[in-house]
Amino acid sequence: MTALLSTRRLSKAFVGVQALRDVSVDIGANEVVGLIGENGAGKSTLMRVFAGVYGPTSGEIILHGEAVQLRNPRDAADHGIGMVFQEQSLILNLTVAENIYLGREGSFCRGGLIDWRRLNGAARRQLEKVSVDIDPRTRASELSFAARQMVELAKALSLEELVDRHLVILLDEPTSVLEQKEIDLLFARVRDLKQRASLVFVSHRLDEVLELSDRVYVMKDGEVVAHLPAKGTSTSELHQLMVGRKLNAEYYRESKQRRCSEEVVMRASGLSAGDAYRDVDFALRKGEVLGIAGVVGSGREELARTLFGMLPHTAGTLEVDGQSIVLKRPSDAVRAGIGYVPRERRVEGLVLFLSVLTNMTLAKLPMVTRTRTINHAAERSLGRDWVKKLRIRTPSTVTLCVNLSGGNQQKVVLTKWMNANSRILILDHPTRGLDVGAKEEVYELIRDLSANGVAIILTSDTLEETIGLCHTILVMRDARITARFDAPPTQKPSQLALIKYMV
Amino acid sequence: MDSVSDIRPRKATAAILHRLSLFAPGLILVVLIAVIGLVTPEVFSFDTLIVVLADTAVLFVLAAGVTFVIMLGGIDLSIQAVASLASVVVAALVGLLGFWSVPAAVLVGALAGLTSGLIHVVLRIPSFIATLATSGVYVAAALILSGGRAVTLTQAGRADVEWIRATVLGIPAVILVGAAVAVASFFVQRYTAFGRFSTAIGAGEEATWASGVKVDKHKVIAFVLSGTFAALAGVMLTARMSSGSPELANQLLLPAIASVIVGGTAITGGVGSVGRTLIGALIVSLVRIGMTFVGVDIFAQQIVFGVILILAVVVTIDRGKIPIVK
Amino acid sequence: MTAGSTNIDGATSEQLGSNISNKPKQPRAALRKRLAPWAPLLVLIGLCLTIGLLNPSFFQVGNFVRIANTAAVPLVLACGLTFIIMMGAIDLSIEGLLAVGAAVVVLTAANDTNASDLGWLGPAAAIVLCGMLGLANGIIHVGLRIPSFMTTLGMWFVGAGLANVLLGGSQVRVLDPNIRAIALTRLSGIPLTVWIALLVFLIMLVIERFTRFGRHVRAIGGAEDLAALSGVAIGRTKVAALTLAGLLYGIGGVLTAAQLGQATAEIGNGRLFAAVTAVVVGGTALTGGEGGVVNSLIGVLIVAVLSNGMVLLGVPPTVQQGVLGLLIIVAVALSLDRARLRIVK
Repeated sequence: MTALLSTRRLSKAFVGVQALRDVSVDIGANEVVGLIGENGAGKSTLMRVFAGVYGPTSGEIILHGEAVQLRNPRDAADHGIGMVFQEQSLILNLTVAENIYLGREGSFCRGGLIDWRRLNGAARRQLEKVSVDIDPRTRASELSFAARQMVELAKALSLEELVDRHLVILLDEPTSVLEQKEIDLLFARVRDLKQRASLVFVSHRLDEVLELSDRVYVMKDGEVVAHLPAKGTSTSELHQLMVGRKLNAEYYRESKQRRCSEEVVMRASGLSAGDAYRDVDFALRKGEVLGIAGVVGSGREELARTLFGMLPHTAGTLEVDGQSIVLKRPSDAVRAGIGYVPRERRVEGLVLFLSVLTNMTLAKLPMVTRTRTINHAAERSLGRDWVKKLRIRTPSTVTLCVNLSGGNQQKVVLTKWMNANSRILILDHPTRGLDVGAKEEVYELIRDLSANGVAIILTSDTLEETIGLCHTILVMRDARITARFDAPPTQKPSQLALIKYMV
Repeated sequence: MDSVSDIRPRKATAAILHRLSLFAPGLILVVLIAVIGLVTPEVFSFDTLIVVLADTAVLFVLAAGVTFVIMLGGIDLSIQAVASLASVVVAALVGLLGFWSVPAAVLVGALAGLTSGLIHVVLRIPSFIATLATSGVYVAAALILSGGRAVTLTQAGRADVEWIRATVLGIPAVILVGAAVAVASFFVQRYTAFGRFSTAIGAGEEATWASGVKVDKHKVIAFVLSGTFAALAGVMLTARMSSGSPELANQLLLPAIASVIVGGTAITGGVGSVGRTLIGALIVSLVRIGMTFVGVDIFAQQIVFGVILILAVVVTIDRGKIPIVK
Repeated sequence: MTAGSTNIDGATSEQLGSNISNKPKQPRAALRKRLAPWAPLLVLIGLCLTIGLLNPSFFQVGNFVRIANTAAVPLVLACGLTFIIMMGAIDLSIEGLLAVGAAVVVLTAANDTNASDLGWLGPAAAIVLCGMLGLANGIIHVGLRIPSFMTTLGMWFVGAGLANVLLGGSQVRVLDPNIRAIALTRLSGIPLTVWIALLVFLIMLVIERFTRFGRHVRAIGGAEDLAALSGVAIGRTKVAALTLAGLLYGIGGVLTAAQLGQATAEIGNGRLFAAVTAVVVGGTALTGGEGGVVNSLIGVLIVAVLSNGMVLLGVPPTVQQGVLGLLIIVAVALSLDRARLRIVK
């Protein structure tokens, strides 16, 4: 196989961090290459080097047999390399057509003025390539996430018209915001695209990578540690190569799941919030981990937000410790002893540019009772204790949170609520974006919290995680609860059993 | 997990930049003093220093108030209108209430701040616009109350506010008031929950809200403080000028904001302190007075001021914490 | 159990369809969204009707011409400011640059203070100089990475100071009949200044809708980092916007000098408040990415109609600024899509 795009001994160093070390990979024509590794392994960095976002510190990039320098994403695009970013990279106040051709409107200009008819027509053609039926004049903000992802794919594909050569399309975790139907469609498109492009596919979901790719590179600590054909490889093999140890059969720490007490800390009766969900009943007990399963649109997202005061309920009652309350804002919820670990950790979970210490005490400041002033000494010692107890890897407690890895950031968020003595915790996709090692640490924490009597409500990315971690599972569909399952450690329900009530 | 727009400050350079921005304002101040002292040593006579500090005190009090709002990520453009309104209130009421016209004026300022804050928080109008609007209202109020002209304090009235022109151990009370404000503000920022939370709101409002902090309440508190301090500054100015007028503080809005920014507080909030504003106010004051002493043409002073402003910001801005510059 | 499992969790309950297509929004939200952008126009119409009802002389042609005349310079200024605000930045230097423009045109054409008589070179020089000051704004903001607030604040002082230095602190009257003619000549009963302002507006509209520069300004306001990744030349666009604004402020200065027949260093006073008010009341968001010069046209008209109305209705001048302030609050409160705004700074 003659490589279309290769790197030779590519290294990339940031200040204090060696992100890539002597990486040599080959991407051939008409194939899908998978790239996996834990967070910090270097796969995103490698993708970004390909996309021209970063320049290599040393080593070469070879494209079509020639060494090239990719100074910026525009440069990369001119060479036929396009990237579909993990988080949305469409500019929401522009139209679909403008997004597709952003920065390249020049070819549609006549006398300096844009010919909108031609531009929109060309955009329509790109959208047809990915079989999407969207008016190119639609504002990007009005599209669903899945539609936006398709537009991004179309945007990457539009490079075909510009560049007279085989394209390389980089897909960075494209499935994390998609629903299964949409993932299937994406995969179908990708397989079609193999005719005219090579694709590099990065994902945390090992089975997806194996399903889609022809070959897989495994990265660890900035180096390529393995290179395998996808066929015949199992996910546990990949897992072992990624983390360098055998997958712990006790991944969800099921042996640590203890029976919870009978004392009810939160009770919902006939809880409804407009059209979002209706007639929700549940009784949350002390030390229980209650999972809520459901697809997007089932109402579980809104239910979780109601329980933290971000979306007040409109009917029914909510009781905490026997008292009926309406949570109108997060401060009400915090006062009732509820904490919330949000999905958008960097936006709602942490104040990135403040220190670890400040973030830890944000929900409960240590005060000198008599004067109602901040007790700085107590705060500092609290910080030290928490860092030690949770084994948070940070240079110091005054380090800014932005400098911590995802897993450690999540630990700081959890610390905040532990520091506030929350008795009820709502965990919204708590392991999203974390690598395997970090996930296991979070599972340990969840077990410890549960053993200490904290009641937890969990909405998760995967059914497996929900089933593995929870004592009880509620299933929602179309704004109602459709099923309840008990999930004791020895008799966990199967995924199939749950799915029946979800779709 | 990197996002598309993940712009992490590189650790070492961020540390250096942060260090630099911490000390830069102080350094600039020292350099300024040195330069002025070299060119016109007579500036540093005790009497001139007193005048400089007294002028600075008024500017500082005004700027300290708006610092609280800026720290939260907002802005208060009505401070000069509130100061002028307060001056008119003192002048109008001093015949009636004597000394008590001063607390009355300060109360008016607090209420003005409360109004601005509530409009911002309840109607969800951006603070730039809300305070732009309320400044028009307060100016109108000042104009109506004063009948459109300056109101001199009556002889009797002047005696009542004479205490503000008094000196304690040779130091004018104005300076002492400024010092008291500085100490009180430092205390508020470092030791109160409000101080901590307003920094957090400026640095990350969503996360702070999602941590259970009552964001709206703190925003209103900041505006009340801003209005109160503005009124206090207005009163101080009235005493120095012996009259209250709707135009009194007209030239002070921009130097006040300049003091905050030159001191190193980010205009977007989350970074900074009143201590920095103090240094900023001293720099701004010294630049203005220094220019006169050094003999800069009076018309050219504005140009020089503008250039120095920009240079000072270049040095004091904490780039490590501002990924995108707007 | 294996890690990295399949995400059946994400399956949808929708029918098996063939394509991913756009999901229409809920009807209630759609209505709210559709009304909000029209709020400024509705406010304008409401104002006109109210004032006209209370004083029918509002509807006389002569009055409309008067309104147009008052609105001419603010429109030119607002157009320049709009592009900057759409990018997510701010320009506080309007008053300083306008003063410089007025000062230059007045001192280069025939006037009562010096002997120069350069005719049309005057306005040209004024506009070019202001453009250069705008360019300076751009270079400092982009090159030195100083927030636009501070850069333009400094430039405000520089401009005001420059005007002061040029005018020597005094008032200079224009004697050149051609310059005065800009304001005094009427075509179809409408002063030339209004026609010039309209022309400027139309040019800016074309730039906004049909040029790459115009679209990139919008993109930067929407998401600057993402725009950069697509190869939009952020720095160059920002500098261009600030320079263009400078040119427009220069034109504003020339028109003002023509209207007043003179220039002082204070000639710009109050223009910033009026321009920002017009832009914001017209519906352009201060955070950037939304709005445009049409919005600013409506905003300028709202302010002009209100000032005119207050005079017609006998509202004392002391109260006028207060009324304007209240208007801003009402207009903005109506037009912001506040249900969606969690964070307001």
